[in-house]
Amino acid sequence: MILREENRRVLEARAPALLSTIAVAEVPASFQLGTTAAGAPTLAIGGVPLHHPRDPHGDGVRWARGAAERLAAAGAVRAVVVGLGLGYHVEALAERFAGTIVVVEPDPAVWRVALASRDLAGLLERVQIELEPDPSEDAATGAQRTRVLGYAPSLLLPGDAYRRALTAWRGSAARLGVRLKILVVSPMYGGSWPIAGYTARALAALGHETVFLDLAAFHDGYRALERFGTRRARRGALERSYADVLGAGVVGAVEAHEPDIVLALAQAPLTPAALQEIGRLGAVRVMWFVEDFRVLTYWREVAGHYDYFFTIQDGECHDALRGVSGAHLDYLPCAFDPDVHRPLSLTAEEQEEYGGDVAFVGAGYRNRRLAFRRFLDLDFRIWGSDWGGAGDLARVIQRDGDRMSTEESVRVFNAAKVNLNLHSSTYHDEMDPRGDFVNPRTFELAGCGAFQVTDGRALLPPLFDGGELAIASSISEMRALTEHYLAHPEERIPMAGRARRRALAEHTYRQRLQRLLATVVGREQDRFLGRARTTTVGDVLRQRSEGAFGEFLAQFPPALPFTLDGLVASIPDREGALSEPEAIFLFLHQFDELYLREIRA
Amino acid sequence: MSARRILIVNLTRFGDLLQTAPAVATLRVHHPEAEIAILAERNFADVCDAIPGLDRVIRVDLDRLGGLMLKGGAALLDGYRYVEELLEELRGQTYDMALNFSSSRMTAVFMGLLAIPDVRGWSMTDDGLRVIHHPWARLFASMCLNRRFACFNLVDYYRAMAGGGAGRQQLRYDVTEAARAAVAPLLAHVPAGRRVVAFQLGASREIRQWPAEAFVSLGRTLAHNGYEVALIGGRGDCGLAAAVAREIGDGVTDLCGKTKVAELGALLDRVDALVTGDTGPMHMAVAVGTPVIGLFFGPASPFDTGPYSEDNVLLHATAPCAPCDHNVTCLQPFCRTEIDAETVAAAVVARLANDWTALDRLATVTRTARLYRTGFDGDGRYECSVLGQRPPRPDDEVRRAYRDMWCVLLDKARVPSGVATSVDRAPFAALERLAHEGETLASELRTAVKRRAPIEVIERFGREVEVLDRAIIEQGGMHPDVAVLTQMFKFGKESLEGNDIALLAELTRRLYHDLARGAETMTSLLGGTTYAEREDHAHLHQ
Repeated sequence: MILREENRRVLEARAPALLSTIAVAEVPASFQLGTTAAGAPTLAIGGVPLHHPRDPHGDGVRWARGAAERLAAAGAVRAVVVGLGLGYHVEALAERFAGTIVVVEPDPAVWRVALASRDLAGLLERVQIELEPDPSEDAATGAQRTRVLGYAPSLLLPGDAYRRALTAWRGSAARLGVRLKILVVSPMYGGSWPIAGYTARALAALGHETVFLDLAAFHDGYRALERFGTRRARRGALERSYADVLGAGVVGAVEAHEPDIVLALAQAPLTPAALQEIGRLGAVRVMWFVEDFRVLTYWREVAGHYDYFFTIQDGECHDALRGVSGAHLDYLPCAFDPDVHRPLSLTAEEQEEYGGDVAFVGAGYRNRRLAFRRFLDLDFRIWGSDWGGAGDLARVIQRDGDRMSTEESVRVFNAAKVNLNLHSSTYHDEMDPRGDFVNPRTFELAGCGAFQVTDGRALLPPLFDGGELAIASSISEMRALTEHYLAHPEERIPMAGRARRRALAEHTYRQRLQRLLATVVGREQDRFLGRARTTTVGDVLRQRSEGAFGEFLAQFPPALPFTLDGLVASIPDREGALSEPEAIFLFLHQFDELYLREIRA
Repeated sequence: MSARRILIVNLTRFGDLLQTAPAVATLRVHHPEAEIAILAERNFADVCDAIPGLDRVIRVDLDRLGGLMLKGGAALLDGYRYVEELLEELRGQTYDMALNFSSSRMTAVFMGLLAIPDVRGWSMTDDGLRVIHHPWARLFASMCLNRRFACFNLVDYYRAMAGGGAGRQQLRYDVTEAARAAVAPLLAHVPAGRRVVAFQLGASREIRQWPAEAFVSLGRTLAHNGYEVALIGGRGDCGLAAAVAREIGDGVTDLCGKTKVAELGALLDRVDALVTGDTGPMHMAVAVGTPVIGLFFGPASPFDTGPYSEDNVLLHATAPCAPCDHNVTCLQPFCRTEIDAETVAAAVVARLANDWTALDRLATVTRTARLYRTGFDGDGRYECSVLGQRPPRPDDEVRRAYRDMWCVLLDKARVPSGVATSVDRAPFAALERLAHEGETLASELRTAVKRRAPIEVIERFGREVEVLDRAIIEQGGMHPDVAVLTQMFKFGKESLEGNDIALLAELTRRLYHDLARGAETMTSLLGGTTYAEREDHAHLHQ
């Protein structure tokens, strides 16, 4: 299938790299090219027609009319069309919309067929061509007020490339430059609690106005309910009343702060009534359920009252959620905070205190109590709480099983030669053979540059591979891998380094939250598109990127609003001489405090 | 060493700019060949054109910068560029000395960016830490935080930073003939021989403004006694002036909003006296030689920002809390109404008659204000002498002692004799003891460094110094009388720079030494026995 000469010429001039990809793209047998009675080419893929079989032009015009109306209503100056088909609808849109048009078609074979069967030279001159489903930073922020339009026939094709592209482009276009106000609601206690803090930090670092509602202070009160010595049924009622009070408090916070999004972490005490009220107040309700859905089952009561429900499990978990909730569901694994979980230079005393050959940091769940007996002949230390009555393990349990601070656990991670990371289970003897989600410790150890032997999890492979972590499928293998890597530091140390690089590149909370917001904001694009767009660091870098100024700005996320507070916040904590841009922004900040704060107030 | 190019940074209002003139004259004496430039805010910079000795006035447009920053977003980049261009312009001049007369963190950062070799006043280290170069600049900053004992005029701080000495200097503003011609018609209707008293009604903040009804009452009294009252002020005061003029009735001319800065100088030169709060026009009147009847209340203090010339009459509210701290907002500013119009009218009449005996009598009987006469001491420094028979208050005694003490400490003056006072001298003695401890500690540290003692030993000294400094600062917190000394010490510590530990130890020792000497001198000046004397005494009896 040869590209038409006029198309080739334009493409060669505008996007030579794309031309070489498109020209050699293999056209699968599932592509069925036809012709209408009037001689217009048509395409169906796997039986799904991409145009009206008899009137593709008219079909394109109808789509374009609706699209142009939506663009005008949103005041958009740029349209991103996901799905090319044979280009009829894009041609029609180009006649009706004067702004920039970006065409995202992730399948090079579709490009090849379109450019071989139709004269699209004029269109190629007019539009910006994108092959990647995920927008680059530049492509995503190239213009203000972008609206992303999905071409429905393409979205119906098998696979998720088009839907992924639609979500990614919508998220980027709507998210970048929009500063959201987000209220993060923590639980009172438990494993989700620190993640709420990391989440709030990450959102703030991404430039969003973040209010962190830390409910840990209410845990003592919750625990104190025991003192009434009530019967079980009454106790449950008391706990529900307590949750009602906290829920009402969160509603009060929503009224006071008027956030765009309320992001709750698993076990945040938001009752159905509170969630309904929050929805009535206009905030988008989002849950990041960073717990095992099989163990904590209260989601059944609340999931129906969220607009978005992110989980660390998919498959079976999503099937169960669909049964009780119409919320948008998405998989979003845990992550780590590079400011907290990082490599440390330990003193000799610290190395002595926290080091050793093998370490485990975590709570004494049943499977761990059983599994870790196999390691007792090694230099093995267990740190963490809930190990009471652990029998044989008692002599390796440090500090009588006291709870550890995060900072101390980071020291242990850094000090131990091999860190064991056995996912918890309350009902398996050793390893959960069907364990799916990946726990936070996996990312945190990797973030520390610490070596770990972990148990295999169904969802681990896309996140880390065997060249980065030692992955065991049984406790015997965990033991064998531990011995092997203890004896081979030349393998162990580079592996830990690779794991850290991977974690930094893909698994920070900032990246996770960026993805979460891409989904939420992308799907709510009309709600957020109308907001005034804030100039971002990325916008300014496009205007001026040279020298010290460019270097200074490059350290910030491109999506960070270009505001003094955001730019200056990091300066007091730094060490060494200030660069000129730092000092000038500091001057402007002082000027702002001296003269402008009062005017603004 | 004589400087070639000197930059004065003064981004304050026009009154402060006028007060720069004596410092310019002082610089001119010490650096006769230097080019002296001033960086001033565009709205007030015109006043600098008439200050003798300035070679160049560089205008910075803070309104424009503020506008860009309020706009935010991409305009912030334009604001950044504006600062960059300003820096480029100033760096291109290769100044070798700079005097920062705007004591703010903002200008400190700016001075750090300029990186001029000899900076006096607030600046910033490469690491972004604030430093205050020059002992008189540090003293000024310390006094701003302890205003009850402010004992020098702002102009004298500026002069000292400029090199000091150089005899008596005065505010200068050259009134042009064009300005005189422009204002001549404004008071042409006033019959010859009728004396004109100007009122400056407005002030930068309401708390600095005498109430309108008081001005009305004063105006009526003066008009009734044959004086012409001229109301002056900026455009923002026009409504107030119209109302006051209406209430006074005959004998008043409302000139509010009718003069630009240069013409204001000519107008004040034309009138016989000015009644005003602590305002820019007050300094303008001084600069053109017109007597001032100054009303000081709220944050205004006659000691540090009074009119820098002889024979002005100042009325200072007697409220025990006056003056307010610069950083507070008083919610009960009763001191504004304490100074009554009758007393002010009597002061105006007596001053115009040059009748200081009447002023002394007035000061003796007036309970709501203390009256002062401005003048200069033998070293050419501004001073306020209390008028009338009024016993000194403890604060006055401490202020007087501080004035003498700083001259001893910073200008190597001879220690004057002490006089018996009621001031509690124990806090000064305690501070002296702590400072001597510090002196010993710093000497030992310097010796340890020279002998290459192990790092643990040096660190131990560091910890001991830290504990001692905390005790010194706490002493200032507990006893306000000594707080100026401890604040001065703190600024001195913050301004130590470098990595040479032996040198830092020596500089630290000198700071402790100065602190001890300051505390000792204060004890002596307040009529007590110093710690050292007591130690000697104790030794003799052992």
